[in-house]
Amino acid sequence: MLVICLLAAGLMWVDQNYTVFQSLRYVVGYVLYPAQQVALLPSTVAGWMESSTASRQQLMDENVQLRARNLVLEQKAQRLASLETENIELRELLSASEQIDDRVLVTSVTAVDPDPYSKQILINKGGEDGVFLGQPVLDAFGLLGQVVDVLPHSSRVLMIADSNHAIPVQVNRNGVRAIAAGTGALDRIELIYVPNTADIQLGDLLVSSGLGGRYPKGYPVGVVVEVEHQSGEMFARVSAVPSARLDRSRHLLLVFSQGAGQVPSDEIWRYKK
Amino acid sequence: MTMQQFVLGACAFFVAFVFEHLPMPDLLMWLQPQWVMLAITLLVLNAPRVYGLWLAVPAGLMMDTETGAYLGLHVITFSFHIFLVQLFIRRLDGFNLLQQMLMVLILALAHQLALFWVSQMMEAYPKPIDIWGPALTSALVWPWVYAITQLTIRRILS
Repeated sequence: MLVICLLAAGLMWVDQNYTVFQSLRYVVGYVLYPAQQVALLPSTVAGWMESSTASRQQLMDENVQLRARNLVLEQKAQRLASLETENIELRELLSASEQIDDRVLVTSVTAVDPDPYSKQILINKGGEDGVFLGQPVLDAFGLLGQVVDVLPHSSRVLMIADSNHAIPVQVNRNGVRAIAAGTGALDRIELIYVPNTADIQLGDLLVSSGLGGRYPKGYPVGVVVEVEHQSGEMFARVSAVPSARLDRSRHLLLVFSQGAGQVPSDEIWRYKK
Repeated sequence: MTMQQFVLGACAFFVAFVFEHLPMPDLLMWLQPQWVMLAITLLVLNAPRVYGLWLAVPAGLMMDTETGAYLGLHVITFSFHIFLVQLFIRRLDGFNLLQQMLMVLILALAHQLALFWVSQMMEAYPKPIDIWGPALTSALVWPWVYAITQLTIRRILS
């Protein structure tokens, strides 16, 4: 027993500090895949039944709604095209690199981590679909988190509300930079190390700043709901509600962007210069 | 290890991991029984000479992957659990179901405590109160799990 425990302790230490055993985890993921699929069978069948037994009237109503929504979105997309062109022109003026639309992959949430202290979810896309460690994950409303574990057909996502997570953000109104750390509660994130004099107000939208090279720039992260200046304290206490619906979203987007997951080599070159 | 014993072990783990992965409501998550630990207990009880400490390695690695823990965490806790089951195996065999439930409660608590300590050493900070939920539900489901598996094993062997 002692030998097994010592070997396991060594394995834990290596796994904590290096990524050499990621391939072992990947292989074990193949073994677990059939059991995971069987466990999800009832919800898959229920979803299929629900979608296949929808009445004609329901489908027609939905169709009308979707058409109306489509019109609104098309109108917005028209404006977006002109804004994008304008944006590129302005960026060119600023000699900044041009922002290209991010490529995304749609995925679904298959399970939630049963550990009440860890805010992690499992999604149904894995290494076979091109998912990589550190990949940003969005829902329809904002940034949701990043991939921390990749298995062949599924991945584990650490949400921005997890207490081990932090993301560089900036206030959309004025560009003030800060770090949004998870609190362990799904409906709250906190801005840490914000000076008392920083211009942050209630209702300010926080967007990802792209600093650190992990998350792409400009996606909504949260909305400020509490700003508390304490006399004698060096930093203000600023809380925000995540924009992404961390406890409700079922369909998510995996982002394959130039700025995500790694710092682009041309940017490193620019800093060196 | 005979073919029958191998198939039995594979089936036990398959079912245990299916239950482990079943989606549960947020409120009941802390009450989820330790299905893999129960499967290990059953296997060691039924074939102690075949299923020994080595079982902790594959079961632990699979559990670490399932829960996203550091590889090796459950290898340690399962090897501790198998050691305890082997220590009390004769008593467990002679006990009635109620006594077995109490024994499983103690074993599950010991397993949860080991998990708690190792997690703390790895700088995760679970609450001590959380070790009770899975241990209690594991003890409560034990009679059904034991009865069903004993019937199945007898039918397979007869």
